[in-house]
Amino acid sequence: MRTTRKGGSYVLESSPFFKILSTPAIAILLLLLVVPLIIILSKAFIGSEGSLTLSRVITLLKSEYTWRVVRFTFLQAFISTVVSVLIALPGAYIIANYRFKGKRLIKAISVIPFVLPSILVVLGFVIFYGNSGLINQLLMKLFNLEEGPIKILYTFGAVILAHAFYNFPIALGLISSFWEQLPISYNHAAMTLGAKKGSVFRTVTLPRLIPPILSAATLIFLFCFSSFVILLVLGGGPKFTTMEVEIYRRARMSLDLEGAATFSLISIFLTLIIVAIYIWTQRLVAHQEEIELLNEKNLEKSLKTIWGKIGVALYTLFAAFFVLGPLGAIIYNSFTYTPSRSGQTVFTLRWYKQLFNIESTSSSMMGVALSAIILSLIIASVTTIVSLIFTTMLSAKLRNDKIKGSLATELFAMLPMAVSSVIIGLGYYLIASRLQLGNIGSRILVILAHVVIVSPFILRSILPEYRKVSFTYSQASFTLGANVARTFWLVELPLLRSALITGGAFAFAISLGEINATLVLADSSLVTIPIVMYRLIGSYNFAGAAALGSVLIVLCAIIFFLTELAKKRSN
Amino acid sequence: MKKHTILLFLAVVLLPFALFAKGSSESVDTNTLTVYSYDSFVSEWGPGPTIVKDFEEETGIKVNLISAGHGSELLYKLSLEQNNPRADVVVGITNEQLNESNKFNLFQSYDSPVLKDIDSEHIFDKSLTLLPYNVGTYAFVYDSKKISNPPTSLEQLLDPKYKRSIILIDPRTSSVGMGLLQWTISVYGDDYLQWWEAIKPNVLTIADSWSSGYGLFTQGEAPLVISYTTSPIYHVINEDNDQFRSVVFDEGNLAVIEGAAILKSSKKVEQAQMFIDYLLTDGQLDIAIANVMYPVNLKTELPEAFDWAPVAKKELYLPSEMIAEHRDTWLNEWTEVMSR
Repeated sequence: MRTTRKGGSYVLESSPFFKILSTPAIAILLLLLVVPLIIILSKAFIGSEGSLTLSRVITLLKSEYTWRVVRFTFLQAFISTVVSVLIALPGAYIIANYRFKGKRLIKAISVIPFVLPSILVVLGFVIFYGNSGLINQLLMKLFNLEEGPIKILYTFGAVILAHAFYNFPIALGLISSFWEQLPISYNHAAMTLGAKKGSVFRTVTLPRLIPPILSAATLIFLFCFSSFVILLVLGGGPKFTTMEVEIYRRARMSLDLEGAATFSLISIFLTLIIVAIYIWTQRLVAHQEEIELLNEKNLEKSLKTIWGKIGVALYTLFAAFFVLGPLGAIIYNSFTYTPSRSGQTVFTLRWYKQLFNIESTSSSMMGVALSAIILSLIIASVTTIVSLIFTTMLSAKLRNDKIKGSLATELFAMLPMAVSSVIIGLGYYLIASRLQLGNIGSRILVILAHVVIVSPFILRSILPEYRKVSFTYSQASFTLGANVARTFWLVELPLLRSALITGGAFAFAISLGEINATLVLADSSLVTIPIVMYRLIGSYNFAGAAALGSVLIVLCAIIFFLTELAKKRSN
Repeated sequence: MKKHTILLFLAVVLLPFALFAKGSSESVDTNTLTVYSYDSFVSEWGPGPTIVKDFEEETGIKVNLISAGHGSELLYKLSLEQNNPRADVVVGITNEQLNESNKFNLFQSYDSPVLKDIDSEHIFDKSLTLLPYNVGTYAFVYDSKKISNPPTSLEQLLDPKYKRSIILIDPRTSSVGMGLLQWTISVYGDDYLQWWEAIKPNVLTIADSWSSGYGLFTQGEAPLVISYTTSPIYHVINEDNDQFRSVVFDEGNLAVIEGAAILKSSKKVEQAQMFIDYLLTDGQLDIAIANVMYPVNLKTELPEAFDWAPVAKKELYLPSEMIAEHRDTWLNEWTEVMSR
């Protein structure tokens, strides 16, 4: 193995093909991430007279308040991660080991929360779990209560619940897809040697599941680390202050860019460590999978015992309730209307009619929804294509690079995940106001920004798969006379099809829901779905926002359902 | 093969240019007045587009209305462009920013003839560089289905009967939240933190933004929320719903005034002055309805729905120098108290 790997990669490394094609990706990252970051972060080191200083950083590091915020940020992320993984584990087990109806659907739908804008998730949670939410209304009717008995929101528990809702699908997806590939032969061997089922799980299965569990956990930790809206709104306020809030406050309210920059510096440093751990866990996974691939795959069993069936049914029900509840609540809200005179909630299509300009309103939203949907789809498509190409090139380069140098490049490529959106936004803002962009310029910048934002997600889906593609295939192709480009095109790419589809779907959905960068970069003529939603909420029209949010949910559902179909066909 | 890939790459990179090429054909002619404003003013359902259209029809002066981002970013953007200013007029700098705006020294004063129709209390910049066009007053909005006797002072909000019934907004992340913080300072002075300490049991949650706070309120999570006196108007006009009412307090309500200014660098002073005058006369109604706030021109005739917005007994303001000087201290002290 070792020698072929070296031989194959030698040809690849010396080929200008990948160098040429990975350059645009690196250039874009430099332009859209590193340059703004440097502009912003350098402010942390510049004193009031324009001289270099470390005093800001030192003062911040000495402040007790800083460390309280940092400690809390870590604590909430840790608890959220543990809960998300615990919820995902039984699901991963049944998805990996059993055949049952609705499996594909669970997989497709469970991805949706992840790509929804957080304001929509908050809205969904409030409509579903809130004091006057659907659950409480139901319970009040059933038991004739004066007020809703469920008081989970506005506590720390609500934060964990929302984070789990957002993130357990990540763990579910990652762990189950790995578990599916675990060879059953090891288990058989252990059983032949007299091991009981329980101890087979403990001693054979579990140790091999640890890399994907760690990998999923680090990723979830990373997302919860930069959580902000959910913590404040659902958690009940400033008791729960994360670093992101602190950065936001300094940058936006106090216009204290230097302070914001200094705080971001600490935040980026800490997140980079987490990203590095994540990359390490991903390599563990890839390495393990390389071994497993040599063996026969685990075959799905159909459920035999009644208890098994009940267990699977219960979990499916739970997942559906947990994920679809808040999502369904948003959709429910978009179809209802409560005029104050009668006080009865009635079914209505008026929000959709207003949105699609079938019914006129005093606030002129003429045809905005339709054009926003079209523009969002165009931006998401271009973003997906461009970032798929860039990321594939980048991962080709990363795969071929010698291990030593590649950690830095990989960290660099994952950087967008580590940087607070407030800081990225500020950086873009500084650049955009210097560049004096016109209409076209700002649109291109929006797409490029989306490319930067979605790239780590594609990279995370392509790179591990690419690493698994054995160099022997490439080498065989060279032997048969194909050059590097042809080999890449005809041999390597087809092997990556499934990963490309997954990555592309994520890119598309994330671009569809992206708001922070878009809002900063876009002029007022650029209306995408999340921007219209944001404006609707900003102008009191929550039902209208829920209607457009429902459109976004349905679009995402379609994308992930198509993804599952496409993967099924390519297998 | 390599060629193909490069071609494909080029095609994809160039695609957006082709898609958006339409937008570039509107060239900016040299006689056009360039107006900067904030995002929601410029947006399709903000007051901007209507005002610009009517102004262009009336005067024949072309206007290029540009969004410079959120409210607080406006001044920042102008300061960045200091050496190479593009705008002639800026719309949307508040009285709270007066101190910062004076520091940059970007605007020229304009003694508009329309000012005589404007309540002198609202002319917040005596040097007449920033002319007021729009005023809002912060207020608590309540759900009349759940509360029949709304509180009429900050003090009454502390009543234990409102336990976990109030939604506030974080001053660290929202200007409405900052508004309430300043309101308490203007009423209680240095003792403001005692009010915040006392309100804690009555607070259901402190939201990150006006949007999420007000959203929780309309979903029925709590019967009281900090917003504007004018908030109920929206529900009356658009939803035929008068369930949500606002209440003015005995000690007064904190007000925020938005202003417009002409840049010193402008070479089209005459046209710019015409635009400002238009903003302060015919444009007033559009602004009031789209922004759901009060006009400043006393001659403006408002639609009936505005009867649902009670007029503040007294408008409170903090001096902008004081805000600039103490903002960080206030935020720190506030965070310290509220996170305990």
